[in-house]
Amino acid sequence: MIEFWTLAIAAVTALACALSGTFLVLKREALVSEGLAHAVLPGIVIAYALIGDRTSPLLLVGAAAMGLVMILAVQAVRRTGVVDATASLGVVFPALFSVGVLLTSMDLAGTYFHADCIIEGNLALAPLDRLEVGGRDLGPRAFWSVSVALLLVTGFVALLFKELKLLTFDPELAASLGFRPNRVHLAWLAVVSFTVVASFEAAGSILVVALMIAPPAAAVLWVDDVRHILGLAGVLGLVSAFAGHELGMAMDIAPAGPMATSAGALFLGSLALAPRGILMKGRAHRHLLARMEVDLVAARLRPGAPRDLESVRGELGWSPRRFDAVVARAVSGAGLVHDAAAGTLHLAARPAGS
Amino acid sequence: MSAPWVDLDPTLVVVAAGTTTVGAVSGALGCFAYLRRQGLVGDVVSHSALLGVVGAFVLVHAITGSASRSLFILVPGALVAGTAALMLARSVSIRTRLNDDASLGVMLSIFFGGGLFLLRWVQRQSPPIAGHTGLEDYIFGMAAAMTRADLWMIFALGGGALVVLFLMWKELKVFTFDPDFARSQGLPSRLLDTLLMGLLVAGVVIGIQTVGVILMIALLVTPAAAARQWTSSLSTMALLAAAFGAVAGAGGALLSASAASLPTGPVVVLLATTIFLLSLLLAPRRGVIARARARRVLRDVPPRAAGGAS
Repeated sequence: MIEFWTLAIAAVTALACALSGTFLVLKREALVSEGLAHAVLPGIVIAYALIGDRTSPLLLVGAAAMGLVMILAVQAVRRTGVVDATASLGVVFPALFSVGVLLTSMDLAGTYFHADCIIEGNLALAPLDRLEVGGRDLGPRAFWSVSVALLLVTGFVALLFKELKLLTFDPELAASLGFRPNRVHLAWLAVVSFTVVASFEAAGSILVVALMIAPPAAAVLWVDDVRHILGLAGVLGLVSAFAGHELGMAMDIAPAGPMATSAGALFLGSLALAPRGILMKGRAHRHLLARMEVDLVAARLRPGAPRDLESVRGELGWSPRRFDAVVARAVSGAGLVHDAAAGTLHLAARPAGS
Repeated sequence: MSAPWVDLDPTLVVVAAGTTTVGAVSGALGCFAYLRRQGLVGDVVSHSALLGVVGAFVLVHAITGSASRSLFILVPGALVAGTAALMLARSVSIRTRLNDDASLGVMLSIFFGGGLFLLRWVQRQSPPIAGHTGLEDYIFGMAAAMTRADLWMIFALGGGALVVLFLMWKELKVFTFDPDFARSQGLPSRLLDTLLMGLLVAGVVIGIQTVGVILMIALLVTPAAAARQWTSSLSTMALLAAAFGAVAGAGGALLSASAASLPTGPVVVLLATTIFLLSLLLAPRRGVIARARARRVLRDVPPRAAGGAS
């Protein structure tokens, strides 16, 4: 049963992260997830110190607010106009994370958070912390918090899909059409921040970042439509969660590292195999080159006027080997006729109307 | 309690010298990353270094049967992993439709996740591999564990990076501000790009023991961003950033030694952040206060004079 809940928490976390990460990846904001995953730490510690009750749902909201504080701080630094966007993120999130680490080490909030949990979370223990309402055991608390995050993310995407797309691909157009891109964006980042916080306890910062970036980045290499990217990213996230969990169980180590590595492996696999990955793109490139070579030969011929092979080769300045290969390809595919007896090449008569 | 600088504890001297050097070197190197808008590249390099550090440890152990956390083993590992992560990220963003941010983020996840994976595996080995206990410290940094040998390594690598920076100053400067012009002048831009990357990796590698792989980014970006507010000259900026980094490093070492159980890394980062915030507010011309005042002056000028002045 414990393993079932562990898997369920991992699966829901993976889905929520992959869906929210898709728009970050598409909007050149992938590293915002890295920032959030670190900046929410002081939020969690401070919220716990203030609320004192580690079962309060307010804890999640408070910590998520710290994520928004980071976003606003980055925007404020950038708006001074003297520090660019990447650098402002690079200044703000380590500072907030440092505050979090100091607070954790000063043990301000009691022994709620252990330093190791910051990076890896504690998925193994998450199922033991139950949510009880009126004496009834409703399952692990972590499962419910990530489920709420997933619900928020899917709800936001479903209701504001058009706005999100517009915001992601053309914020200027969005503004000129009368949307408030900044408001939608901020609301969206609030949802993302909540997702980060909800996932943080079980998954830790590294897994949040890996699950938010790697599955959508891999999906982008396979499909074009945003809906398809969302769907595929979700599937890849689930696969990495399951594979990482099994790997972690088999080797008896915390699953965060293996899950992140699985997500990375899926990305590398996609890079090799997907139509928009590196290898296939190379193949498409070579394919195009081969077709161009045929076209170059064909361009030197006129219908009904056979030409001597050698003179065509001479004009192109190609080696005999390359030329023969191109001619062979051209004859088999592109309607060139090679008269071997005469040693000439001519265009085949085109069928009428083409 | 006496002030920490009165009774100079030899360990503290080593640690303070180390963090000061690390701060100065990464401050100076960070200027180039900052000006090329590649601040977060340092974040990826430092996270990736974890895989390199643990991987080198495992590799040396597998070959020789014993491994130590000597920087002579770990530094080459971190150099290889950091460079590999950057080159992979670059090739992904050049050859696919993924943007820089996404490809850097993916490589960060793969290398850091893989590093963590390998680290946990090493810790699980039985019989335990001797010397693995300190590997964990690279995540959050453990300046207090710095030894004399580590200090020499920091001096050698950091000093080497600064010497290269000094020798190649003109070329790197031109390349940073105007890569197209640099190319037209026949400068080998790929080589310079790789050189800057190598310097960055060297700076990161000596820094991660002090502040840890997660916070290393702050040592590269924050002093540079602070220094930029005070000057528009690259050499002044690099010197200032080095000074800011050194102050933050030294202050962090002393503060965390005087107050019980404060980790050095976060203290260094918060000191650097304080310097940044002060610079952002107070710097002449670029500072927030100076510009607010300039705007007020401009607003009070009669329209005709304002038109004439522009």
